[in-house]
Amino acid sequence: MSKTVRLIIRHVVLAFLAIFWLIPILWLVLCSFGIDKGPNISSFFPKAYTLQHYVDLLTADSSSVSQFPQWFMNTFIIAVFTCIISSIFVLMVAYAMSCMRFKMRKPLMNAAIIMNLFPGFLSMIAVYFIMKNIGLTDNKVGMIIVYSAGSGLGYLIAKGFFDTISKSLREAAYLEGANEFTVFYKIIVPLSKPIIVYTVINSFLAPWMDFVFASIMLSSNANKTVAMGLFAMVDKVNRNNYFAQFCAGGVLVSIPISVLFFIMQKFYVEGITGGSVKG
Amino acid sequence: MKKFLAMVLALTLALTMVGSCALAEDVTLKVWVGDNADIEWINGVIDAYKAAHPDNNYTIDVNIVSEGDCKSTVLADPEAAADVFTFADDQFNDLYAAGALQQVMIDADEIVAANGGADATVVLAASKDGELYAYPATASNGYFMFYNKEYFTEEDVQSLDKMMEIAAAAGKKVGFPVSNGWYLYSFFQGAGLEMHINEDGITNSCNWNATDTAITGVQVAEAILAICANPGFTNADSDPFVTGVKDGSIIAGVSGTWNANVAAEAWGENYAACKLPTYTVAGQQVQMGSFAGFKLVGVNPFSENVGEAMMFAEFMTNYENQMGRFEIRAEGPSNVEAASSEIVKSAPAIAALAAQAAYADVQRVADNYWANAETLGKILVNGNADGTDLQTLLDNAVTGITAAPIQ
Amino acid sequence: MKLSALICGSSCFARKQYVKGFLITLVQAVLLWAIPGVFWPYMSKLGTLGTIKAQKTFNPETMKNEWNDYDNSFMILLFGIIGILITITAVVLWLRNIRNARDVEVTAASGKHVNSFRDDLADCFNVKFHRTLLSLPVLGVVMFTIVPLIVMICIAFTNYDRNHLVPANLFTWVGWNNFNALFDMSANGAFGYAFVKVLTWTLIWAVFATLTCYFGGILLAMFINNKNTKCKKLWRTLFMIAIAVPQFVSLLLVRNFFNDQGIVNTICANIGLTDWLKSIGAIQTNYIPFLTDARWAKPMIILINMWVGIPYQMLIAYGVLLNIPTDILESAKIDGANAWQSFKSITMPYILFVTGPSLVNSMVANINNFNVIYLLTQDVYTSTDQMMASANAKEVDLLVTWLYRLTQEQSNYKMASVIGILVFVVCAILTLLAFNQLIKGDKEATFQ
Repeated sequence: MSKTVRLIIRHVVLAFLAIFWLIPILWLVLCSFGIDKGPNISSFFPKAYTLQHYVDLLTADSSSVSQFPQWFMNTFIIAVFTCIISSIFVLMVAYAMSCMRFKMRKPLMNAAIIMNLFPGFLSMIAVYFIMKNIGLTDNKVGMIIVYSAGSGLGYLIAKGFFDTISKSLREAAYLEGANEFTVFYKIIVPLSKPIIVYTVINSFLAPWMDFVFASIMLSSNANKTVAMGLFAMVDKVNRNNYFAQFCAGGVLVSIPISVLFFIMQKFYVEGITGGSVKG
Repeated sequence: MKKFLAMVLALTLALTMVGSCALAEDVTLKVWVGDNADIEWINGVIDAYKAAHPDNNYTIDVNIVSEGDCKSTVLADPEAAADVFTFADDQFNDLYAAGALQQVMIDADEIVAANGGADATVVLAASKDGELYAYPATASNGYFMFYNKEYFTEEDVQSLDKMMEIAAAAGKKVGFPVSNGWYLYSFFQGAGLEMHINEDGITNSCNWNATDTAITGVQVAEAILAICANPGFTNADSDPFVTGVKDGSIIAGVSGTWNANVAAEAWGENYAACKLPTYTVAGQQVQMGSFAGFKLVGVNPFSENVGEAMMFAEFMTNYENQMGRFEIRAEGPSNVEAASSEIVKSAPAIAALAAQAAYADVQRVADNYWANAETLGKILVNGNADGTDLQTLLDNAVTGITAAPIQ
Repeated sequence: MKLSALICGSSCFARKQYVKGFLITLVQAVLLWAIPGVFWPYMSKLGTLGTIKAQKTFNPETMKNEWNDYDNSFMILLFGIIGILITITAVVLWLRNIRNARDVEVTAASGKHVNSFRDDLADCFNVKFHRTLLSLPVLGVVMFTIVPLIVMICIAFTNYDRNHLVPANLFTWVGWNNFNALFDMSANGAFGYAFVKVLTWTLIWAVFATLTCYFGGILLAMFINNKNTKCKKLWRTLFMIAIAVPQFVSLLLVRNFFNDQGIVNTICANIGLTDWLKSIGAIQTNYIPFLTDARWAKPMIILINMWVGIPYQMLIAYGVLLNIPTDILESAKIDGANAWQSFKSITMPYILFVTGPSLVNSMVANINNFNVIYLLTQDVYTSTDQMMASANAKEVDLLVTWLYRLTQEQSNYKMASVIGILVFVVCAILTLLAFNQLIKGDKEATFQ
């Protein structure tokens, strides 16, 4: 008997926690379908429902603050290229640091640790002026460079994973006369699917989340990224007219990201735990 | 009509001048306007400008940078800023100091005259050392009182005490953004205390903690505390004001033309506006002061086509386009002729601003004012929760407001 | 072979390595042109950061502004530093080239095989593969992380602020002035006062945010992973929905959720909670200042951060829990250990061992946790501390949000740079301390 009671209590507690966790998300969805343009503050559930905010969001004319379809495309393009370049960078650095031994290895690794201790956007003004001199501000190519140039620094988790791949595999390959490139390409890469998926998705998601660098580098409304655009929709000036569209945009962005995230979660855990056991 | 002809003549002259240098030039201009609602208006202006200058090949790009943020965006990199940008006059000083404002070199005298002469507040707000550095665009960026006629008579709105009494009785609120330095100024200025920028252009002088004036600083602070504690009062910046007006909890409040539509929609026929009321301090009724607010159009000196940019800025702020802006955006013109037209004068918000103008000062404030005044306001709104001695409180605020930046 | 000190490719030409020789000479030529031609004008002005102020005259004939040949302090700093780095690289390359020439000479003299260009290329995919792998990523990091960092560190020693904005004005070196201002603890040192306050809150925040999420996540994971829990996958998914929504959406949403005139306040007012809190004196206002009063905002921020962070930690802890060797748990059970004992002596140490190192990382990450604080308090929170307001800081600011707002809202680059350097110092100290601990821990693990 007491066991059943405890079982029930356990599930009630879980359900309570889950509700607590989901209420804001539910509110997001409700607001996006609610009739109010601004934040609905009189009751939790909207008085009436409409799809209008989604329509407004997706068919914005040039006079609207919201250019969501354009922003979405911008972010998507930036994300795809960032993802390709930074994944390659991360894997390259991780392989060099994990599987090869050379004189500069330790100093480089220490330097990377030190770099990672500086707050990332301390350098943003200088980065802006560098890009300006190359003529790549307010430009997608510039954003891709900004997001992917420093990505080599984030090699640690991938290195941790490579460390767990048995050394004997590589040694056998060397004996058969394979060079380092072949080992990297034919042995390590096929064995590292989890960490590659993890790296790819992680670097794909970064441009969707960042608004600090985006808001410094991009100025025209048409070039904005989703994060930046949505941020502007809830500032002091626009909040009362665009909050519902912000919610709608939030929902639309969350869907693809959630899908990727659920794919990634398995690899995420493997990456983190695999990487950190080795240190 | 005469004016229009003169205009055309001037433009033709300007045209021939340009035309004599190079024929059918390709001119690219970037223009920033403050709000997406301005897009319709600016597109009309651009079309008219192109029509008036058929010889040149114009590409004019419009982007939205809110008038309030214009300064930080321009200062981040003046070279990348738009050729022509709109900003609120409180940013004039910083933009000027950063060398981001082109002195008006074409038709400066005509522009000054059209906006009421060299002594008009809007011209002062756009000038430095007697030279014009920006084009006056609107004269309605200040604040005043909105009220709902259902609750208040024209007599009632003369005094804040009366208004709060009525609101409290009805279970409603009168809103005023006490925790915002721009509005907080009203109380102190009304009581005869002073705060303004020094000659050096980077520090303020301020006597809000004075003990030797007719009304002392502490008395003003006490009056604000009393107002904030009144059941018929709420501290309402733009956002809560809009919310309150929409849901009916706020029946009167201080704000600006940017919220005129909200109030007009919510209150319908009962929508009305007037100058700021009087408030009680040290036992007397004192008229609240205010900051006059203008929108100005600046030209970027780093522009490739600085001459064209100046001509466009002038065109954008001329009589016709100020009238157009009034019709589309309900913003009061700075152009004297436009401002005196019947249709403009009959708009309640503009009339209220005109009535307040007698008590309004040009904003000439160094940056240390804003954060400090905001905090002072916030402390007063919270009822001075820590129970700090009011004189100390004001002394601290004044220290902050008048502090010199780290050299 | 002495010639190779002058024309770097000459030694290669002598060995008939024409392609390599050509490439090396080309690099040399470009560097010899670029360093004096492009970078020297900037490098030579590094001492003063420029002396010629921008001046313009409007030419009514051309309708254009005519500018003098003015100095731009920021560009001098930026290109000066790049120039110095390139010069150093060039010298290093030159020295190595001479050494290589000598080595090759010795090798050739002893009659051994000298690498042809093709051999060199092959090496790039074999013994020197690390160079191929690392060159681009390192170049990226140098250009977009290291150079900007050096520039910004230098800015901490200049007077680059609102009153010295480029290009119309010049800024120059001021030595340790800005650091002195930040460490000025006297009565009128607003920055010193604010720095102590902000640093304290940053550390408190980092500790609380890290620990609450860490243990909250582990507990939640164990709770779900317990054999008595039904539908484990469903529960896990429910909690993960909250993190699948991007942070800027969920946090901006929550900011509106807890707004002074927001939905939560309406509900609290309707159920009478607001009035009750007012009657016991917990609030003075007619609403609950969730995010607008320091006493409410700080705990709220930590709570909201738990909402965002616990599911992440749960995910990781869940994976770790599944990896615990079950035989150990089984044998403990056979030995008569109860649930609490096996948790205390097996599960917890195991989790700590696996995820412990990441605690340091998340601590550093939380010190730099810009998103949570900025998205929750920007435009909403007003300081009620006059001294902090003078320094443009707020009670809820972390060092990084303060840094960000100083640059974005105040154009106060010099103080922002000083703060950035101090963030680095704080993180470095933390990491060093933790590293020492970890090395000890590692040894213990090996001894066992």
